[in-house]
Amino acid sequence: MMENNMKRILVIIPAYNEAENIVHVVNHMMEMAPQYDYLVVNDGSADNTLQLCRRENFQYLDLPINMGIGGAVQAGYIYAYKNDYDIAVQMDGDGQHDIAYLDRLLQPLFHNEADVVIGSRFLEKEGFQSSASRRMGINILSLLIRLTTGKKIMDVTSGYRAVNRMFIEIYSKDYPADYPEPEAIVEAIMHLGIVKEVPVQMRAREGGISSITFKKSVYYMIKVTLAILVCRLSYGLRRGKRTQE
Amino acid sequence: MIPSNLRVVLIVLVISYFIVILYFLKQKALNLKYTLLWLVAGFVMGILVVVPELLTMIIRIFGIQDNMNGLFIFSIGFIILILLSLTSIASRQNRKLRTLTQELAILDKRVRELERSSGKQEERAGV
Repeated sequence: MMENNMKRILVIIPAYNEAENIVHVVNHMMEMAPQYDYLVVNDGSADNTLQLCRRENFQYLDLPINMGIGGAVQAGYIYAYKNDYDIAVQMDGDGQHDIAYLDRLLQPLFHNEADVVIGSRFLEKEGFQSSASRRMGINILSLLIRLTTGKKIMDVTSGYRAVNRMFIEIYSKDYPADYPEPEAIVEAIMHLGIVKEVPVQMRAREGGISSITFKKSVYYMIKVTLAILVCRLSYGLRRGKRTQE
Repeated sequence: MIPSNLRVVLIVLVISYFIVILYFLKQKALNLKYTLLWLVAGFVMGILVVVPELLTMIIRIFGIQDNMNGLFIFSIGFIILILLSLTSIASRQNRKLRTLTQELAILDKRVRELERSSGKQEERAGV
């Protein structure tokens, strides 16, 4: 058994047009958690996110074309897999996720209590809680995941996550595209992973615009619902064999 | 029965269809792999123009009363099939493109690191 302080941890920070936030987010992370590696994944940004990464000498991947958050996060997982990281954390590049909660996310992995840990806004209902309509959408998806997999996850759209080596490998090979967060949870459960939520507080975005505008929300709900159902169906009956200790 | 002048027109059309496909193949504007379906379609059209009774027979087997209706149903079905295969090709290419882009980005980072470390070595060596 490897000592926890020996574990190599990579924080993946996907960034699409985050010129306003990225420098602050990375500097804050290096200040608060200098013991962990990080990797900015510039997802073909149209603004000067790449130039900022270069100027600040950040650790970054530069995707030459925009692939969406799923492709960007997966690039981070592939990097983590190839470079033998034990744990990968994904944290948005827009400043919504507070690095102060990183340890909370890591604890269940350190103690082998979970394979995938999700930072949840709704467990203690503190911090930024998103708009009422968004919460409704999230609750519907949460219910859908509960109905299809039997597992209750509250904050299914949270992009603040930590996974162990097993899921670095799984996600590096197969990670959902477009709006991947809820689907990735179903994928994890279907791979008999133990998914655990821990309470975190999130902030409203510090700058820039959210990737999900109101106009896209109907499409979002339809697409994600379909994706969850297809994902659930394509894995057949392989579920629930590994129960939580 | 198809009037003989229409039949001549149709034969000319089928032949030009083949010429266009062969031209695209020669120009490498079409992949042979994806052209097979179109070639098969051309052969079926050719046979039906030469022996139209065959179409009438098949259509009767399916219980369709009108020849033209039958022809349209089969054509639309075939077109849907081709469109579906095109969507599937596009999706597969999309996935490959994704993998390529990710690998490229990872290699790009490695090259930057190698350049930096070799730059340092050269500095130390006084180059």
